[in-house]
Amino acid sequence: MEESTTENPPKTFTCRLCGFSTAFTYYGQKPPNTRAIVLLEECFVTRDPFSPDKEKFLVLGSTCSLCKTCVCVGSDCSLFYTKRFCMQCVGKHLDQFPHQIQAELAKKSPKAAAL
Amino acid sequence: MDSERGRHSRVWDWDSRQCRAQLDEIFFRQHDYIQAGSPEHREFWAFFDRFQRFKIKREMSGPAEERREDKKGKKKSVTKTVDLGLPEEYDARYRINVSVCTRDIEERLGKSDHRSRQRSSGPGPHEISEFRLTLLHFLDFSQRQSFGKLAKLRQEQKNLPIFQYRDRIVELVKQHPVIVVAGDTGCGKSTQVPQYLLSAGFKHIACTQPRRIACISLAKRVSFESLNQYGSKVGYQIRFETTRTTATKLLFLTEGLLLRQIQQDGSLSQYQVMIVDEVHERHLHCDFLLGVLRSLLADRSDLRLILMSATINIKLFSSYFNDAPVLQVPGRLFPIQVIYQPIPPEEQPSRSEKLDPRPYLRILQAIDQRYPPEERGDLLLFLSGVAEISTIQEACQIYATHTRRWIVLPLHSTLSLAQQDKVFDIAPPGVRKCIISTNIAETSVTIDGVRFVVDSGKVKEMSFDPKAKMQRLQEFWISRASSEQRKGRAGRTGPGLCYRLYAESDYDAFAPYPVPEIHRVALDSLILQMKSMGLGDPLTFAFIDPPPTASIQTAVTYLKQQGALDSCGELTSIGSLLAQLPVDVVIGKMLVLGSVFNLVEPVLTVAAALSVQSPFLRSSQHNPDCSTARQPLQSNQGDPFTLLNTFNAWVEVKGERGGGSRKWCRRRGLEEQRLYEMVNLRRQFKELLKSHSLLESQESAPSGGDREQRRKRFTEKKKLHQMKREHELQEGSKRKVLKMNEGQEGEFSSGSDMEEKGKRKKEKDGAGHDLDIQEVKFKLRHNVSELQEAVNASQDLSSRQQALLKLLLCRGLYPQLAVADEHNTTRKDSDQVFHTRNKQGVVIHPTSVFASDPEVLHVPEEDIRETGADGKESSKHQLLAFVTLLETNKPYLSNCVRAPALQALLLVANSVDTNADCTRMVVDGWLELELREPEEALRVLSTALKLRAEWERLLQVQLGQSSSGGEAVQGVSRKDVGKLSDSLVRFLLYTEIRYTLRRLTALKTQNLYVGPQPETDLSDTKALVLNPLFPGAETKPDPIKGGLRLTSSFTYNCLADSKNLYSECLRTFWTCPNCSLYMPLSPLERMHHEASCRPAGEQQQDDGESGEVKPGPASASRLSRVYHCDVCDEDLTLTSTEILKHKRQHMHSAK
Repeated sequence: MEESTTENPPKTFTCRLCGFSTAFTYYGQKPPNTRAIVLLEECFVTRDPFSPDKEKFLVLGSTCSLCKTCVCVGSDCSLFYTKRFCMQCVGKHLDQFPHQIQAELAKKSPKAAAL
Repeated sequence: MDSERGRHSRVWDWDSRQCRAQLDEIFFRQHDYIQAGSPEHREFWAFFDRFQRFKIKREMSGPAEERREDKKGKKKSVTKTVDLGLPEEYDARYRINVSVCTRDIEERLGKSDHRSRQRSSGPGPHEISEFRLTLLHFLDFSQRQSFGKLAKLRQEQKNLPIFQYRDRIVELVKQHPVIVVAGDTGCGKSTQVPQYLLSAGFKHIACTQPRRIACISLAKRVSFESLNQYGSKVGYQIRFETTRTTATKLLFLTEGLLLRQIQQDGSLSQYQVMIVDEVHERHLHCDFLLGVLRSLLADRSDLRLILMSATINIKLFSSYFNDAPVLQVPGRLFPIQVIYQPIPPEEQPSRSEKLDPRPYLRILQAIDQRYPPEERGDLLLFLSGVAEISTIQEACQIYATHTRRWIVLPLHSTLSLAQQDKVFDIAPPGVRKCIISTNIAETSVTIDGVRFVVDSGKVKEMSFDPKAKMQRLQEFWISRASSEQRKGRAGRTGPGLCYRLYAESDYDAFAPYPVPEIHRVALDSLILQMKSMGLGDPLTFAFIDPPPTASIQTAVTYLKQQGALDSCGELTSIGSLLAQLPVDVVIGKMLVLGSVFNLVEPVLTVAAALSVQSPFLRSSQHNPDCSTARQPLQSNQGDPFTLLNTFNAWVEVKGERGGGSRKWCRRRGLEEQRLYEMVNLRRQFKELLKSHSLLESQESAPSGGDREQRRKRFTEKKKLHQMKREHELQEGSKRKVLKMNEGQEGEFSSGSDMEEKGKRKKEKDGAGHDLDIQEVKFKLRHNVSELQEAVNASQDLSSRQQALLKLLLCRGLYPQLAVADEHNTTRKDSDQVFHTRNKQGVVIHPTSVFASDPEVLHVPEEDIRETGADGKESSKHQLLAFVTLLETNKPYLSNCVRAPALQALLLVANSVDTNADCTRMVVDGWLELELREPEEALRVLSTALKLRAEWERLLQVQLGQSSSGGEAVQGVSRKDVGKLSDSLVRFLLYTEIRYTLRRLTALKTQNLYVGPQPETDLSDTKALVLNPLFPGAETKPDPIKGGLRLTSSFTYNCLADSKNLYSECLRTFWTCPNCSLYMPLSPLERMHHEASCRPAGEQQQDDGESGEVKPGPASASRLSRVYHCDVCDEDLTLTSTEILKHKRQHMHSAK
């Protein structure tokens, strides 16, 4: 993920739920230079800014498999369970998720549940 | 379960190194996402171990329960309308959105498995899938970790008060050439505004800071925040360090450095946006920079300027830039309660007494009573100076030792860096830090975790006395702005409390703002820089707040005295060179002078040493061990020589023991950081001299010669770079916990804590953190063996070299000279008094070698011949040249060097006036020298004049060479230089003339000169005599002093001297030792003759030399000139003596 020397205006990824916003460099399932690694969903990807290694990637977010909303991977906004679900859709279909996930969500944020 | 089976069937041990290596070969090959040997690879295996342990734990704690609940969940989902198509059984693996394909190798392995399995036990499919699963979890884990970091970062940015002004700021910058962003502590302007501009697409952004350290830390922070931690989009540039590359779009740099850049490139075309931060601090450079930028804006309509300031005096900045729009951002401070607690009269310190610690102790007690120790929060106490700090520290320490609830730490700039750094360490639970600081903690040093502030309301500030040309460090009440700033330090991390040890009415009476630096300091360097930037008359320059006219005038006069400006105030060639050097004028002069003679190496060292803080720690001065260890470094020639010895010894230790130098320094009470600064500065000086062709750039690299050595150096450098990177990565991650006795050590027992420190060091070594980063940087930047060579050149200077070096220092430092009081011999060592031209009664700073050894400055008893009221007659008078004159409680001279008085004065002084027979000389209108023998006086004076002329000539050639770009090969010939230095040394060391030396009394100063004389026959004749010493410069009657000006620095017979009014025309018979001329001559005539007449041998030699270069009348022209005789009406080529003879001929015949 070489930083392009020609000045393309950076494309920005914005999470529709929390407003998290940052530039992304790739969208898809196979970020460059990831070798054997494949993503199981189409993702917004950037270079991992916290790694000195230029080839490390970081998944920022993707679209919810149900409502197609753009969401970040933060646990307050979405979860991945074979597919990406935004938290709103998770809430709607909570009963279809395994109890481990249900328990986890309930434990994590009574506040969020109240909303 | 699975792994159990694996273990049974084959010998597979996850912990075995061999097994792990086999997996490495499958998953972490050269081109894989994670490569064996990389940091991620190490992290992975650490993760692997944790994950294994986690699994084992989970297996043991009942998987049955899990399964039961699973079923429950499944039943529910049947009732749903939309089927999400989720798998029936829960598996954590489904939560990972990454997959790893290694089928290719697995297949390959599978084929060969049959064979290999018999020999060695490779991983089976179970192990492979288990491993792959762990790898997926690891990838997921590191994704989560990085994303969490990023999300947190973005959240913090959003929470900053300035965030909501983001678009507004960008918009304003686009619309206006200048804007002012005003915001208080914690609003985030310094880190965010540059980023906003960066992401808005601005490219060449520079952001100035008043402090170097801020440049580094801001560049670090902003590159992290703009996700460019490992790139060079954001960089910094300070005096010796830069991370700037061609890719750098945002550069943090110091104000001084930006000014230097403007000096090189007047339009500053390399930047599109200039951010000037902390303008409210009103530093000299910043005020000047604003002035320069203001005039630059007229030519650069595309330039954008952003001033950032605390909410102090914003209007001043806005109106200076044509009412630039102001954006005011609220700060983020927690509420701070202010308690006014004025010191009761009986505890007020009287002028001479120490500070009374009681008011301070009461506050410590009050805090202990009111706030439980579990409630954390440290105390920051502001005092005016170092002496005050140690008084209060001592008292607080006693209290702290008693209560065991405080750790007392001093903080000021003369502490070692290690000691300064302690204020950032953490106190153990239940204990508070009590940091006692100067105003350094007001802006420069920011300490988090402070809850209580105690403000004494006092500050010691430098001011400049233009009349005495002296700096003064005096105590003042602070300003309201400073007071608020101090208070604010209590509210950075939570609500705080501020005790003000003055009344509210005092506060109201404080000045609103501190006095800007430009009003307080000497402006020499500033004026010089202005001249070199072609900014015209400094008096008319539109400063934001013009400095006092007297200050500017003093600086101009001083620069003229120094030869940096000519009489019209224009830059001289040496002046333009000095303006390029980032040092004081006097130090710059030394460098230039040193480059002429073969003394470059020691001069470089001395110049560097005098430009940084002293490496000798004050706290170690009274430590007997340190003093003993320092002893061999001391030189009683003067402090610059001690510094030279110290530096040389240090380099030697560096060469022999590398990192062992740290210990060496500690034993001698030396701050090694200063020595590192010196070595860097020294190198910068050397490069500057080379770039101005004042120093031959010898291609020292033995090209091709030592390939082995270069290879070694290369690998070493690579290793060092690696170490530096690693250090940077872990830097700042750890803060030590302080020990209860911290702060006591060091200050009171810096030598005896050696063992203690040694122990600590070992402990740290064990942890592998004790990398001496300074040593690494040093080795990266300097080639130690080269440096050693350079140093060897300045080690063990012969007494001749030493004498010459002293002379260079004196000429550099001139007019900063002092003489001893005539009664010093009868005074105690500690009561020795000295006088400068403008300030009487100064003393030598206790750190100087002359403070402990003042006898070396006395005229030796055996050499004295009393001459009554006129003082002591001796040939051994000395004077002191000094670097600084600073008044604190007394006026102190620091960094002094001693030199023989008569010789040094005649060679360096700007104004030497004599009477008719030259037995009385007055130097610079304040020192009077009287010699008994006119014969001797004439000889010494005429030698000095000759030497000066030759010195000046060589200097001009050297400078001319530098300005012509170093093309001229026929510059200063080594032979000329050698001859001159020989003669100078001979003059300095072997001039044995008895004279008296004293300061002129006020009365004498009044009637010093004869004043302009009506034109007489005599002066008429003399005016006709061209000056042989300085061809081109005419001998003229001095319009003010009277007498005759022979050179710019020498005026003959201008002293009002009743006894010898007519001696100028008294001729005595004299035989020239060179040409055996014998005739009656007046002193002046004799001097003329001597100046032009050389010993026979030398003359011939000269002819031979110059004959090759320029054939023809070279030698003749040097001695003779065309003289038009009005009587004969003929042009004659004659020497000056011959002219005199010729004229006399006519006079006689006329009679």
